[in-house]
Amino acid sequence: MLTWSSLKAYFRNRGAIFFSLLVPLMIMTIFGLINFGNNTATVNIGVVDQANNQVSARIVSGLKQVKAVKLHTGILDGEKRQLQQGNRDLVAVIPASIGSGRIAITAYYNQGNPQNSQVALAIMNQFVDQASFAFAGVSPALTLNAKPVQSRNLTYVDFLVPGMIALSIMQTGLFGVVFTFVQWKQRGILRRLMATPMRVRDFFFSQLVTRLTTVALQIGVLIAVGILLFHFHYQGNLLYLLIVGIVGGGIFLAMGLAISGAAKSEETAAPLANLISLPLMFLSGVFFPRSSMPAWLQTITQYSPLTYVSDALRSISIDGASLWGVRTQLLGIVIWLAITVVIATRLFKWEVV
Amino acid sequence: MSGGMSITARSENLDLSRQTEGFAIQVEGLRKNYGNLVAVDGISFQVKPHEIFGLLGPNGAGKTTTVEILEGLRDADNGRAFVAGIDVRKDPGKVKDVIGVQLQSSAFFDGLSLLELLDMFAALYHRRVDGMAILKKVDLTEKARSPVNKLSGGQKQRFSIATALVNEPQVLFLDEPTTGLDPQARRNLWDLAQSVRAEGRTILLTTHYMDEAQTLCDRVAIMDHGKILSLDSPDAMIQRLIDKGFQGQRIERTANLEDVFLDMTGHALRD
Repeated sequence: MLTWSSLKAYFRNRGAIFFSLLVPLMIMTIFGLINFGNNTATVNIGVVDQANNQVSARIVSGLKQVKAVKLHTGILDGEKRQLQQGNRDLVAVIPASIGSGRIAITAYYNQGNPQNSQVALAIMNQFVDQASFAFAGVSPALTLNAKPVQSRNLTYVDFLVPGMIALSIMQTGLFGVVFTFVQWKQRGILRRLMATPMRVRDFFFSQLVTRLTTVALQIGVLIAVGILLFHFHYQGNLLYLLIVGIVGGGIFLAMGLAISGAAKSEETAAPLANLISLPLMFLSGVFFPRSSMPAWLQTITQYSPLTYVSDALRSISIDGASLWGVRTQLLGIVIWLAITVVIATRLFKWEVV
Repeated sequence: MSGGMSITARSENLDLSRQTEGFAIQVEGLRKNYGNLVAVDGISFQVKPHEIFGLLGPNGAGKTTTVEILEGLRDADNGRAFVAGIDVRKDPGKVKDVIGVQLQSSAFFDGLSLLELLDMFAALYHRRVDGMAILKKVDLTEKARSPVNKLSGGQKQRFSIATALVNEPQVLFLDEPTTGLDPQARRNLWDLAQSVRAEGRTILLTTHYMDEAQTLCDRVAIMDHGKILSLDSPDAMIQRLIDKGFQGQRIERTANLEDVFLDMTGHALRD
């Protein structure tokens, strides 16, 4: 009953609807129209070294020195997946059979991303020519085999929508909780409830259900609009999305509770919430891929809770990944959830003492 | 009581349990400090059933803290407190079940109507109530479907009391119930308090208004600096003061300005 009352009260509040549904939609539309994410300053090239000998090592180090190239190394499956996700513009495979006959480097590129792929292919071709000259005296020439990868014409929208969902979840958790709880605390609403036999955990539960229902709604609406208006190539399982969304939402709800516990009024609570929200929003691969950040930044932001949620949602909706497929992200999410819940229970207070 | 206890001990225990059953509220040696500040300094008093009992005192006297302890919202450092025979410090949950609380700054969820709020509060006590019947008692039936923030000050206070009545409490706590209300609304609230008492409930109220205390309360306790300075019926206190030789500053007439006001503008509620 308390849950039902809480749901009714929440959704009748027009401000809540505005912030949780309209604002993410607006941001998504704006960014989708600008097509923000295409950045051709550098190309991301992945190298799969299947030979692991001196010759291949020289090839790799040579590639590294090309200024416009950001080089990544890895195994074939991983690199191909990165290619499909748009984190690589080209994947070059150095075959194991170096040393006998002509060396053919296979280069996979993403058909759906012609701009960056063409640049990457051009660079590779140039490199191969120059390297051939260098190797002329030592070993047979290099040739380049360009192979288009079966692509799905992924656009920026496909990158953006899961990121937007993750972002909305964060905003709902942080700001949705902070503003209402701090207000309630100040106005004595919570105190009045505490004078009844109501138990704290029942109250928390009703609030949790209300917020998580909002999250589920946001997921639904954003995906629907993405598909209908922006050709979002949605392949994922809605149930998995909801699970990740809800568990991830828990993290930000807990953060929101921690802030509303620590802050005495809205004036102190809002800056705190923004302090967390703004950096996460821009550094967690929501609006543009993290692969375009400097390496040190990539390492740090890899562990951000929003990165885990956003990456997991993206894998599920674009690649059709299962929950097992995003287990690393899920683990990160669960760990963050545990941390934030502990902090929230310590910090949350019922009234301004 | 089983044997093996001394006679003196047995009669003490009997006295205590009789006393606890007899009183609506019983406080013994209650103490509460906030750091170095002594808010409640070892007070003791009893409130009889069906009584309207007033707790008076300047700000910072310790009345609010005392009431919060009795409502189970705050724990005392020392002493004992019983409400409706239940030990508040041991069983605050049980106490909350049989009391009603009207807080001065009571606020409620904005998105719910009065009826919905009453249903919600009733559910917290695992009860279902006839919301309209309660609203009728406090004269708010026309506003049954509007939210609290559309009510006037007087209406909000009446609704506050309505939520405190959903569980048919034995003891009702009123915190400065007529602060900020116009004369009609004040009179109306006093009548409401009397009718609640007539239903068989006990009321403990705090107030700054002496006329309110004098009109409504059967007995009054005056607190300051955490201690009770005096506890008696208003009439007895006034008489003691007069006997001390106190001379009032004005000649008492049988009517005052408030009577004039009400005579001219009528008793009907203006909200």
